[in-house]
Amino acid sequence: MIEVKGLTKKFIDKNGTTVEAVADLDLTVQDNEFVTVLGPSGCGKTTLLRCIAGLTRWDQGEILIDGNPVRGPGLDRAMVFQSFALLPWATVLRNITFGLELRGADRETREDKAMELIGAVGLADFEHNLPGTLSGGMQQRVGLARALAVEPSVLLMDEPFGALDEQTRRLLQEELLRIWEARRITVVFITHSIEEAVILGDRVVVMTPRPGRIDDITNVPLGRPRANPAEYAAATRTVAELTATLWERLKQHQPDSRAGGTRS
Amino acid sequence: MNPSTSASAAKLGTRVRVPSRLVPALSLLVGVATWELIGRIWDVSFFPALSEVVAQLVELIRDGRILGNLSASLTNLASGFGISVVAGIVIGVAMGMIPIVNSALDVYVYALLTAPSLVFAPIFFSIFGLGRGSIVALIVVYAVFIIIINTADGVRSVPIELIEMAQTYNASRFQIARRVILPAAMPMIMAGLRIGVSRAVKGMINGEMFIAVVGLGRVVTEAGGRFDAASVLAVLLVIIAVAWAASAVVQIIDRRLTSWLPEVNRG
Repeated sequence: MIEVKGLTKKFIDKNGTTVEAVADLDLTVQDNEFVTVLGPSGCGKTTLLRCIAGLTRWDQGEILIDGNPVRGPGLDRAMVFQSFALLPWATVLRNITFGLELRGADRETREDKAMELIGAVGLADFEHNLPGTLSGGMQQRVGLARALAVEPSVLLMDEPFGALDEQTRRLLQEELLRIWEARRITVVFITHSIEEAVILGDRVVVMTPRPGRIDDITNVPLGRPRANPAEYAAATRTVAELTATLWERLKQHQPDSRAGGTRS
Repeated sequence: MNPSTSASAAKLGTRVRVPSRLVPALSLLVGVATWELIGRIWDVSFFPALSEVVAQLVELIRDGRILGNLSASLTNLASGFGISVVAGIVIGVAMGMIPIVNSALDVYVYALLTAPSLVFAPIFFSIFGLGRGSIVALIVVYAVFIIIINTADGVRSVPIELIEMAQTYNASRFQIARRVILPAAMPMIMAGLRIGVSRAVKGMINGEMFIAVVGLGRVVTEAGGRFDAASVLAVLLVIIAVAWAASAVVQIIDRRLTSWLPEVNRG
């Protein structure tokens, strides 16, 4: 379980003024839950994720993972990056074993684990390729496999499919769901895409613009499994309605929105 | 067939095309011929024709003066450049990773890079005396600073997300340096080594000429003292060959270590 309590994070911007990226934010994510986080650009959703990952220090509040306070990166969490963050000189195999290697796992354990994941994420026969020879979608599969290789209890995903084209993105969403449905770990997934947030998440968290706070949390009334779109075909209307509702909500926070009518 | 493609094909066919790998050889041939001609026509005592220089080179090789001194020079070069590589990379990584080290050393590194390195020759001479030590120290001064600067720049330009990625796996500072920063900075480090090795050759010759106890530099100095231009130029040819071979070795190592780089990104 992830518990974020009263999280406040301030930055000092270029002009020397203090900006609150996240203010007094509370969020609880249950074990094995898939939570997606939506919000306008610069609402601090990535900051929230980085704090949970232990990459960024915060000013007030606390973050607990299974009751243990976060003081830095930890073996219980792994992150998938929007930019993939692969080592360009290392093969797919060595990229995937990177986390295990740092932990001193022996070669056989590492490679067994990696080969299993290479199969699971659909990278078979590419294990000796360099990342530069792969498409963006393939690269992010490597990023996902690398994170799963260390068997984290929490998977943190920072707009992982944001740099991919629509079709690749859909393919990866389905594969992520298939993998998650088989493994059931806690996932916090940051995204710009409302539809993605609905299709993937058990709950969708909407954040307000700076300073980032929780605006709304919506349960997604779709069953599992959802890896195959046919599995929620009957609920297409629900998806569409939920997407529209979330968009109405988000639109109020768009700085250049006139349609919302709540801002002058 | 499309008329425009056949027309351009015909045009291409009429052109004389020299395979690009032949160009260096041709250029060298022109240089050799020019040297020989000028040497023969323009009869000055300090510019003998190439054939005379080569004859003198054969003579020097035969009486053993080249080989003995060449091996002394190469030993100096290998020790001086070896020290420069190790010290340059260690100091460069420290400067690139630790801001306080950078602020402390930056001014010295840039000052010593720009300073004419030969002024250190008398200083080393007075410290290390008339021997190898002085020459090796001078080679280090010639080569090490560019390696430090390139390494530090390379380290600073490592994408932050790679470092953060390693941090999320709880990597120690040392692990990050060894497994992320060093390989990511390798293209820049190798570029520094390529410049460093030619500076090291320069330092070797200057040191040997100044201190003149061992090596090719001594042969040059002695021949110069006798106004023996053919010998000076003969040794110069050997020095050029050494410089060329040394940078070829660095280039081979570079290609191996950075084979992951796409071809277009090579400097």
